[in-house]
Amino acid sequence: MKSSWLAFAFIAAAPMAASAQEAPALRARHFTVGAGAVWSGAYDIGAATAQLRANATGATPPPLTLFIARSRVTSATAPELRIGFAVTRRTAIEFDVALTRPHVGVAISGDAEAPSQQLQGERLQQYLIAGGVTWQLPIRMGARMRARMAPFVSGGATFLRQLHEDRTLAETGQVYYAGGGARYWLRGADGSSRALGLRGDARVNFRSNGIDFEDKMRIYPTFSLSVFVGF
Amino acid sequence: MRCVAVILAILLTLGSSSPLAYLKLGAMVNGRVIDATWKQQPIGYFVSDRPGNGVTAVDLLGAVDRAAATWSRVGSANVRFAFQGMTSAAAEGVDGRTTLGFIDRPDLDRVLGSTSFMIDTTSGAIAEADIFFNTRFAFSVAADGRPDRVDLESVVLHELGHLLGLGHSAIGETERNSSGSRRVVGSGAVMFPIAMSPGTIAERVLHADDVAGISDLYPGPATLGTGGIVGRVTKSGRGVIGAHVVAFNPETGILVGNFTLNGAGDFVIARLPPGPYILRAEPLDDAEPDSFFPGAIDTDFRVTYASRMVVAPQGGSSPTIEIRVLSK
Repeated sequence: MKSSWLAFAFIAAAPMAASAQEAPALRARHFTVGAGAVWSGAYDIGAATAQLRANATGATPPPLTLFIARSRVTSATAPELRIGFAVTRRTAIEFDVALTRPHVGVAISGDAEAPSQQLQGERLQQYLIAGGVTWQLPIRMGARMRARMAPFVSGGATFLRQLHEDRTLAETGQVYYAGGGARYWLRGADGSSRALGLRGDARVNFRSNGIDFEDKMRIYPTFSLSVFVGF
Repeated sequence: MRCVAVILAILLTLGSSSPLAYLKLGAMVNGRVIDATWKQQPIGYFVSDRPGNGVTAVDLLGAVDRAAATWSRVGSANVRFAFQGMTSAAAEGVDGRTTLGFIDRPDLDRVLGSTSFMIDTTSGAIAEADIFFNTRFAFSVAADGRPDRVDLESVVLHELGHLLGLGHSAIGETERNSSGSRRVVGSGAVMFPIAMSPGTIAERVLHADDVAGISDLYPGPATLGTGGIVGRVTKSGRGVIGAHVVAFNPETGILVGNFTLNGAGDFVIARLPPGPYILRAEPLDDAEPDSFFPGAIDTDFRVTYASRMVVAPQGGSSPTIEIRVLSK
């Protein structure tokens, strides 16, 4: 009788232990906070040509170029804060905020009276407030990592607010992102207690509106590394 | 042979006023230069019944009507004209009437048209203005223009800008031809002092620079949403007078310019749609400086860009930006 009870207990416990070994889990219905740094890649924001009306017949004469200005938002690294709520052991809703300060660089060319040149540019103040979802992939990691590391995919949208250097004009935009990353638990990987770990994210961002001189969607990468604490 | 024609504003005043033809016309009132503007609108005008070279007085009336409508359509400005009738009087002299008409001026063989003023020296108000168009030139009012004739509507539009109080704009590029006269290569303002070649009709349409200028003189309700850029052009630490500064908005493509007007090299570019602007300072070398300034100016410096974009904020002005230029 005693032996059969032990056997039942072993059988019942084994799948749970095996599951925890293969894929660390979030602590369902609990919050996670995180802090780290995010690096945003550079992207073009358009070329614009300063044009005069050429001296030619007709109502719409061809333009005459005075100069061409190509603008680009430079890469930047900034602090990032994140709060998440684990809906299930695999799925979490997350919000993160970041304040970055990239430059808007301007390259001048095509000026008959001045050499091509790179202007110093202005420093933007850029706020990003994102909301998204992460879903932990049911992928087996290598034997040494299976108890601590879990990859995930993510997607969401970001509200973008950009302030010009003089802080006299703000422009807003949206960023949609998709990406992935991995969490590495230093403790609490079984999803049943408080957790502490590291997290790396890589995203592809699709930015619309905001400062842009051609009103095009811009694509740029971001990479972030953070520490998280699960409650 | 291509004729290079020059449009000049001749500034005639009564009394001791000293109008200054920069971007706007000014009058000295109580020791201060203030904008010379019409204080009462609509601005009534007569059209002289004298015919021109290749066009009739009625053709001129039609061209004036269209050009006046073009200025009146500027949404950010408050400008209205009213035709008072035809007159046998010449478009010159002081008679209490604002008159536009053709006059034969063989002595001004490079001047297409000219505007003269009578300004109230106590208020800066324009009391009367006359515009003449020189019959030395063959004009056209054909819808598509004529290759051998100067487009009358384009010249009227320019001179009406003077009549409203605008001075010359320097947004344009010219080249010297073999006779030493200038040919316009490109224009960024109807108020550029040199006309395009005969047959060209594109200058019947205002540029952003013209719109900013007239909006500054006669601000309408929409100007509340505009902004300004203030700055200084310096060379070796000293202000540059007469530098032409152009603001370019890469988002909208508009070009608006103004000059540094004092020894400190200060400039203001007003009535800009809010947004970031690239600033380019250049010497005034695409037109004769005396079309703009009564005195000497500094043209010995290289074209220079401001180091960064500057924002014209809605309803305000930018912090002062300094553009440091170097001698040629």
